Amino acid sequence: MSFSFGETISKIWETSGFAAMTWQQLVMIIVACLLIYLAIVKKFEPLLLLTIAFGMLLANLPLTGIMAGPPEGSTEPGGLLYYLYMGVKKGIYPSLIFLGVGAMTDFGPLIARPASLFLGAAAQFGIYMAFVIAIALGFSPQEAASIGIIGGADGPTAIYLTTRLAPELLPAIAVAAYSYMALIPVIQPPLMRLITTKKEREIKMEQLREVSKVEKIVFPIVVTIITVLLLPSVAPLIGMLMLGNLFKESGVVDRLSNTAQNALINIVTIFLGVTVGATAVAENFLRAETLKIIALGLTAFMFSTIGGLLLGKLMCFLSGGKINPLIGSAGVSAVPMAARVAQVEGQKANPSNFLLMHAMGPNVAGVIGSAVAAGVLLALFGG
Amino acid sequence: MSIADSLSISVFGLGTVFVVLIALSCLVMAQSAIFRNISGAKETKAAPGRQEPEKPVNTVCQDMGPSSGELKLFGVDEKTAAMIMAIVSDQSEIPLSELQFKTISALD
Repeated sequence: MSFSFGETISKIWETSGFAAMTWQQLVMIIVACLLIYLAIVKKFEPLLLLTIAFGMLLANLPLTGIMAGPPEGSTEPGGLLYYLYMGVKKGIYPSLIFLGVGAMTDFGPLIARPASLFLGAAAQFGIYMAFVIAIALGFSPQEAASIGIIGGADGPTAIYLTTRLAPELLPAIAVAAYSYMALIPVIQPPLMRLITTKKEREIKMEQLREVSKVEKIVFPIVVTIITVLLLPSVAPLIGMLMLGNLFKESGVVDRLSNTAQNALINIVTIFLGVTVGATAVAENFLRAETLKIIALGLTAFMFSTIGGLLLGKLMCFLSGGKINPLIGSAGVSAVPMAARVAQVEGQKANPSNFLLMHAMGPNVAGVIGSAVAAGVLLALFGG
Repeated sequence: MSIADSLSISVFGLGTVFVVLIALSCLVMAQSAIFRNISGAKETKAAPGRQEPEKPVNTVCQDMGPSSGELKLFGVDEKTAAMIMAIVSDQSEIPLSELQFKTISALD
């Protein structure tokens, strides 16, 4: 047997990922690195963006087979992420994330001011505006509905709906949804200043009443019964959200509540992020549609903010100036970022203004609102 | 799907979201009202013998020693009031004749 150094090097090169890499994969790797940079340095929703970006990186490295299913007729197993992706495909992870979100959410401000729910509904306006525009641009109704849901500013809901209606768009929609959620402090303030007057932004709101423990315990039960009876398709999301909240408010299952809002949500976030990112392979992502989706996502976000602000203005007028319309913009879910933005803008107009608790009502109402909007779209376009 | 159809679906969809959330807000309001009534009824039941907060005695006392002016007493008898006035005078080192007490009220 003769050994040729040159031939061996050449063989190693040929079987390596370097030789197999296409320019599209290279572009995707660069995009993944850019997203990792944004997550780490700019702190853009790092919990999810970092994991999504790393999943994207892994899936675009050639010859790994990390997202490949088991070969037919073979006993060889599939790739690691192929199996983990089942949780996304079957809608398990988004629902489990909602369980954790429910365990972390205080619905007190919403119970104290039930009118917050109207703002949570108005801030779903962008979903339907983006839906109409997407249809005009030639997307199918299922695709348009999945694109529109970006306007709900709720990552798990967007992923849940897209896996059911247009799974091929999942990577673009997930990346757009989480990127825009991270950009809320940039997107919303100009719209807030454009739509509201300084006098309106200065309005100081009355302190919210105290909500009893019993009210907080009954709330998740009532919401589950009513919402799921009206829209059965929304049961996985609303059901888990309210179960998590019941864990928290009941005060009798602290261990479950702690697990849901810490260990469980963190584990699921890793699985969800990495596997959603891994669906962003070059042939799925590097398309003209991706740019359209990103543009439509921004449109949806902006219209949702506008919808919330306009209803906020109406409520301000009807209440004789008792409601600061800025809290309407918090109706776009994205808890608690959107509420914080309302607080910051309110305080800029009037340094003694504290809107955070008032904005938390529409903010958590937005979570329910976007889940309901997803349920409506699923009922209309689901299989 | 035509744009007109998509508009109709949007109006229907947003309308449904509003209907569901308005229904929820009505339920939350009803729930709050019910619990407030129940807790109000419980409080009344828990203290059946409890009377309305004691009304001010509104005693007008003109013979409370050398203190100038009129003094109103709320839930305080004259003996206690005299003692309080003496203590205040002693502690503040102001003769009682120069002090003017307007009211002395018992705290709950």
